[in-house]
Amino acid sequence: MSLLDAFDPRETGSSTDGILSNRGRFGILALIAALAVLGPVASAVRPFWLYLLIQILVFALLALSLDFVFGYAGLLSFGHAAMFGTGGYAAALLITHVTANALVVLPAAVLTGVVVAAFIGWFSVRARGIYFAMLTLAFAQIFYVIAFADLPSTLLGVETVTGGDNGIVGLATLETFGLLDLSDRMNYYFLTLGLVALSLLSIVRLANSPFGRVLQGVRENEDRMAFIGYDVRRYKVIGFAISGGFAGLAGGLYVPFQSLAQPQLLNWTLSGELVVMLLLGGLGTLWGPMLGAGVVVLLEEQLSGFAAWEVILGSVFVVVVIFAPRGIAGALVSLWEDPEDAIGNVRDALANYREKVMK
Amino acid sequence: MSDPLLRTDSVTKRFGKLTAVSDVSLSIPEGGISSIIGPNGAGKTTLFNLFTGKHAPTEGSIEFRGEEIGGLSPHEIVSRGIVRSYQITNFFSELSALENVRLATQADRTGFGPDDFLRHHASLSDAADEAEAVLDRVGLLDVADQTAANLAYGQRRHLEIGIALATDPDLLLMDEPTAGMGPEQTNATVSLIEDIAEDATVVLIEHDMDIVMNISERIAVMNKGELIARGTPAEISENEAVQRAYLGGE
Repeated sequence: MSLLDAFDPRETGSSTDGILSNRGRFGILALIAALAVLGPVASAVRPFWLYLLIQILVFALLALSLDFVFGYAGLLSFGHAAMFGTGGYAAALLITHVTANALVVLPAAVLTGVVVAAFIGWFSVRARGIYFAMLTLAFAQIFYVIAFADLPSTLLGVETVTGGDNGIVGLATLETFGLLDLSDRMNYYFLTLGLVALSLLSIVRLANSPFGRVLQGVRENEDRMAFIGYDVRRYKVIGFAISGGFAGLAGGLYVPFQSLAQPQLLNWTLSGELVVMLLLGGLGTLWGPMLGAGVVVLLEEQLSGFAAWEVILGSVFVVVVIFAPRGIAGALVSLWEDPEDAIGNVRDALANYREKVMK
Repeated sequence: MSDPLLRTDSVTKRFGKLTAVSDVSLSIPEGGISSIIGPNGAGKTTLFNLFTGKHAPTEGSIEFRGEEIGGLSPHEIVSRGIVRSYQITNFFSELSALENVRLATQADRTGFGPDDFLRHHASLSDAADEAEAVLDRVGLLDVADQTAANLAYGQRRHLEIGIALATDPDLLLMDEPTAGMGPEQTNATVSLIEDIAEDATVVLIEHDMDIVMNISERIAVMNKGELIARGTPAEISENEAVQRAYLGGE
């Protein structure tokens, strides 16, 4: 984790230098290299850890996709499970009925995410703030119910399409014209790592592009952007669709890996967990939410035996929000920049908390 | 006489039962400074909102260079060359002064082509150069890197004007640009407005009668949503209807 300290603190993107400094870029590359080494090591110590790493990478990608619109463009999507789930279902349906070729399945998952997000975005960006959040949530639940009730089978008059509440089970492994044996979990890990790294670099690039700058302006002051000549609605829909593509890719990686597509992938609980990952990790930092995803997945895995693990997740969440409002990323950055000040801040926050709340 | 730059024909805007602007017909020729005055609630700002696409007129038409613009969306109207500055400070408070203006100079250089997604925003160097030129013009070049929220009041008001100016408008609508300013700041702002009017048409909403009478070529007076008088400053100061509106008598 120490390598992550090397990220630039100005990650909110308000500097002209862009969202990551050279130090930050170096940090990303170093982390990718570290993960590439970590995979085989973890697998050798305990094969289950490799499974966990893949899981973390997939959710890191999903959190990244959400942060691009939530933290960076100020679009408070509470329905990002819709793109993740439909991307996953698209992959499952293709594998079941057409082909398991990753070069078809993964692009199709991306495309599905883009289309679904464009659809949801088109209707939702007319509203703002909490109303936007509620619309995205409502749309996502519609997709959940469509999958859960297997509506397509009724419409098409066939026995099953989405498999209802059981989902689509027993999926074949992805294949790549025999280039890479993806039934080998290590290969799947490297595929996922490569795609997540590529996604991160693309989103950083996008965030620093003229388009990304406009999104940032929209987050800051949407009305004024319109009155200096930007078609704000169009920017928001396109930003949302791009984000949906990455969420769809996460779904397309997750479902073949689990060999299962189920309605739970579309449910609001996942959307909610994603928002927790973002706030925990550090909203608008892009890399913070990826860390947040790691923390949530690890906690869930370690504690799921414990019936009320959400209580612990909730407690962690409360502690972070009170004592590190800028999330793990913010805490790491201030520790790196000025350790004494950071510790002093926590001490002040504790004192403040005692004074204001405990009294 | 050439065609007016902006012409409204019987423009009316109702919000439910409230008629904010009622049957206003006026024309603004190209060049110079025009002012719209009137008591609070007279409908001046609503008129600006109609010109800039915040609201669509309930009735009537608004033509800019002979083309109907009533009901177009704000960005479409900006692209035709009409922009406004705000009475309240309405900028990007977390960004630097330079970036505030840069977002505006970037607007007509950015679209949805591959380049707009792939290249680094800093490669739009002409947008940055132009932004610096605008900051220089509004007297903020030395605070270019300061966060907008940290600027002094007068500086913020000039940044507000700078953002509007950065879109390179043909018609600049300014809503009370000197509100809340001391005499010295006011003078600086008035010089800035006169400078802007050298190459753009300026329409002011302004409460300070000294400023209005000194710098306007034409004045339109509104009261209770209606246009009650228009003319040169000399004509307006003699006008009885205007005096009644301002004195509150009948």
